[in-house]
Amino acid sequence: MNILIGSAIIWAGALWALARVRRDHASELRTVWTISLDTFVFMLPRLMLGLISAGFLALLLPEAFVQRFLGDSAGFAGLLIASVFGALTPGGPFVAFAIGASALKAGATFGALTAYVTAWCIYSILRIMSYEVPMMGGRFTKVRLLYSLPVPVVLGLVAQAVM
Amino acid sequence: MSAPDPSPQTPPKKRKKIDAGLITLALICAASGAAVWVLHGPEVFTDTLLVELGFAAMLLPKVVGGILLAVALGYVLPRERILALAGPDSGVRGLAVATAAGALFPGGPAVTFALTAGLITSGADIAAGVAMVSGWVLLSANRTLIWELSFLPAHFVGLRVLMTLPVPILLGLAIRHVARRRAITGEAAE
Repeated sequence: MNILIGSAIIWAGALWALARVRRDHASELRTVWTISLDTFVFMLPRLMLGLISAGFLALLLPEAFVQRFLGDSAGFAGLLIASVFGALTPGGPFVAFAIGASALKAGATFGALTAYVTAWCIYSILRIMSYEVPMMGGRFTKVRLLYSLPVPVVLGLVAQAVM
Repeated sequence: MSAPDPSPQTPPKKRKKIDAGLITLALICAASGAAVWVLHGPEVFTDTLLVELGFAAMLLPKVVGGILLAVALGYVLPRERILALAGPDSGVRGLAVATAAGALFPGGPAVTFALTAGLITSGADIAAGVAMVSGWVLLSANRTLIWELSFLPAHFVGLRVLMTLPVPILLGLAIRHVARRRAITGEAAE
């Protein structure tokens, strides 16, 4: 359902933009097709490999281990480890949240949970390689990741202080 | 309305089709596939492969639309208005607008990256782009409401969102600050 809505929105936008290019810059239409095709050819194998890997990795994830570890981890080192686990957790939205929920039951602190969820949001490796690098380029991706580096641990510290 | 830049920068033209990124992805895929085959058996392997291929087929129209949108937007958006809204001098307000756009716009990676690439081509700076992508990855309203709230306690989700709210803007400010300092020291060195 989500995919349908997303596809409809994006195609409405794309058709509108293409119509405008055709009306105002007809000579550029060819360039638009060439760049689009080039990007698509670049992206397709990455997208396929990324999706298939996500499926496999979700099966291999040692959930019990991660849950226990998040439950036990404490202090700065604990937040750091929670961040690394978050960055390495693959798959769709439910995987990390489901693990986080069980970790909470296993005694994880809100700080560790915050660091884990935040790192997972920022550093989804498969999303970065299948979507971000092909569509945004290496420089943008590098800047975003570099500046976001401290965010999971910092938010974990804030959460620990507040809760 | 101004004439848009005739040669948009993103996405870059001709590039190597096989690079370190593709090889890494292929290795991850092969290794995880082999592990699933060994640990869970060939049946689970095939099932997973088919499910993901089906998912990829459903995603493809969206991806194609996203790419066309990203490229065409670069020619269509009013350059000086985007420059004022989310350009290097748009201040905290520009970063806040970018963050909100990223957080509220539904549709997943194909939509968000397409819009961001189009905006950057049309005059938004990389700081606004990072704010927009960060707004989406950290605060996506769609994902928070549908997924996060169904798994995690509401007070945790509320606190996480509240704490995270300023992060995309702070990232954007940091990027702009460094860019400005570089520009100043670069000029001084000349």
